[in-house]
Amino acid sequence: MSIATPTYASRTSVTLDAVGALLLAVLWIAPLAFALWAAFHTPQGALSFDLFAPVTLDNFRTAWAGAPWPRYFLNTTMLVTVILAGQLFFCTLAGYAFARFHFPGSDLLFMLILLQLFILPEVLIVENYAMVSRLGLFDSILGIGAPYMASAFGIFLLRQAFKGVPRELEEAARVEGCGWTGVLWRVYIPAAKPVYLAYALVSIATHWNNFLWPLIVTNSNESRPLTVGLSLFAAPESGVNIAVISAATLFTIAPLLVAFLIFQRQFIQAFLRAGIR
Amino acid sequence: MTSPAPFIVLTGITKSWGDSQGVAGIDLTIARGDFVVLLGPSGCGKSTTLRLIAGLETPNTGRVLIDGKDVTALPPAHRGLSMVFQSYALFPHLSVAENIIFGLRVRGLPKAERSERLEKALSLTGLKGYEDRKPSALSGGQRQRVALARAIVAGHPLCLMDEPLSNLDAKLRHEVRQEIRQLQQELGMTVVYVTHDQTEAMGMADRIVLMKNGLIEQQGPPEDLYEQPATAFAASFVGSPPMALLPAGKLPPALSAGLADGLIGVRPEALRLAGAGEAGLPARVTGVEFLGGETLVYLDSAAGALIAKLPGRPAVVRGSDVQITWSASDRHLFEAASGKRISNPAGLSAPAERKTGRMV
Repeated sequence: MSIATPTYASRTSVTLDAVGALLLAVLWIAPLAFALWAAFHTPQGALSFDLFAPVTLDNFRTAWAGAPWPRYFLNTTMLVTVILAGQLFFCTLAGYAFARFHFPGSDLLFMLILLQLFILPEVLIVENYAMVSRLGLFDSILGIGAPYMASAFGIFLLRQAFKGVPRELEEAARVEGCGWTGVLWRVYIPAAKPVYLAYALVSIATHWNNFLWPLIVTNSNESRPLTVGLSLFAAPESGVNIAVISAATLFTIAPLLVAFLIFQRQFIQAFLRAGIR
Repeated sequence: MTSPAPFIVLTGITKSWGDSQGVAGIDLTIARGDFVVLLGPSGCGKSTTLRLIAGLETPNTGRVLIDGKDVTALPPAHRGLSMVFQSYALFPHLSVAENIIFGLRVRGLPKAERSERLEKALSLTGLKGYEDRKPSALSGGQRQRVALARAIVAGHPLCLMDEPLSNLDAKLRHEVRQEIRQLQQELGMTVVYVTHDQTEAMGMADRIVLMKNGLIEQQGPPEDLYEQPATAFAASFVGSPPMALLPAGKLPPALSAGLADGLIGVRPEALRLAGAGEAGLPARVTGVEFLGGETLVYLDSAAGALIAKLPGRPAVVRGSDVQITWSASDRHLFEAASGKRISNPAGLSAPAERKTGRMV
């Protein structure tokens, strides 16, 4: 993809790349664009694609009144917070251990954790369900979050970040009086700040959108997150039309969308950089 | 100059990692208030020795005593010392001020005392006005000063320095050398300083500990190492340009000091051009370097290459043949096999042998 030499062949490939990228972008944005269109029109207007169809906010009013949305928002917020807190805690400690301490079997253990990345979470749903029930966490926020807290990806990411910190910094901190917790808190965590930010953004986005596992492990409005609530709201038997569903979809994804727009640069940059190291 | 009670005592220290030998067994005593330089080529174990004193490494055998207390098993934080690292090891996310008081904060000193000590350290190192900068916004020399300030702010009686000047350019290095020495004397600190640069060691040390292959080769005041090198290695490592070491067998009989084999060492400044009728070593001039007050003359002879430091501007040119000679009192004799000094052979008017410190 060298654009430095503007030969005929390379220019063609650049054009093809651009067209391909554009096509993918349009395909990706299409459902969102349609939801945006449908949410502000009557069901008839939404499906007729009449540019001059009357714009309305009724869909939002109907949708908001149709389900306990504030409760769902609260649940999802609590869920992503609990998961992120657990992940930061466990992955920091595990990443630090794998990066800087050598104990018998540490390499083997790390390999096993990496292997976990190859297993689709969906495969584990039945086993997780049994485990969560045994723990008495069924139908609770903690129950939805627990399987994700010791994230293999997070451990890997933080181990890499910690390994990139020069040893002399740790030694200087130890000479200045830090124990191992002090070294972690005052040297490693501050040094890995961009990685933490990137990881937090990805974690929040993932768990805000997670659907299948919460659907299975919840059965009351007290613990259901937004995604599950939305799917119940949109079920065909409740007879809700496409315009109202679109409106509900829009406000469930709104916080995430706003966050993405704010953190767009960190989201892309920091994450790319964290992976390379 | 120094109190008689030893401040640091290392006894029977060894440290190795698998096959690689760091320190092969050393005993070392350092007096309070001394500026001691651990000198040697890379891989000689000098940095390992420093890290063993710091507590960043634990010895395989032997004991480390600081101020009469056995600290062999203590972590660095409980040894009452500070350290300056080669890379300075400044925390990139903290400002200059926060870097300096890092240790005070860790140890939970009250805020008033922290800022008081910070002020003092800032003014001692000339860093006033840079408190709020991040290390990334400082020059190499300034970073070096921050590392120094962090080392002195706690007021520990012992400061360890691991090649602290190797990342500075030559001119700055010379300045900072003087400053470190001055600071050490002002604060009465004991400093253990690691370097591979013998001019640095000569210029700063009260005592030099010369190391080779994990062992102490020679130790003593700089002038002892220079004037009475205990081995051929010490002779060639200390002094710049290095001492010429000539195999006695290849010298003309008049200059060979009666040795059949063995090495004759002569400092460059002790070499001179032979006068008429004086016995000399024939040599060819391969290069001339005029330095102002003196001239370095590079020579090639049957006994090997050597460098002479001649006063002023001698009348020699590249390619000319000269006779080179030296006084018997200026020569150093070493055994061929072991490299050990042959001390004061009978009938020589060499200066009285001085005690070369505590030899190991």
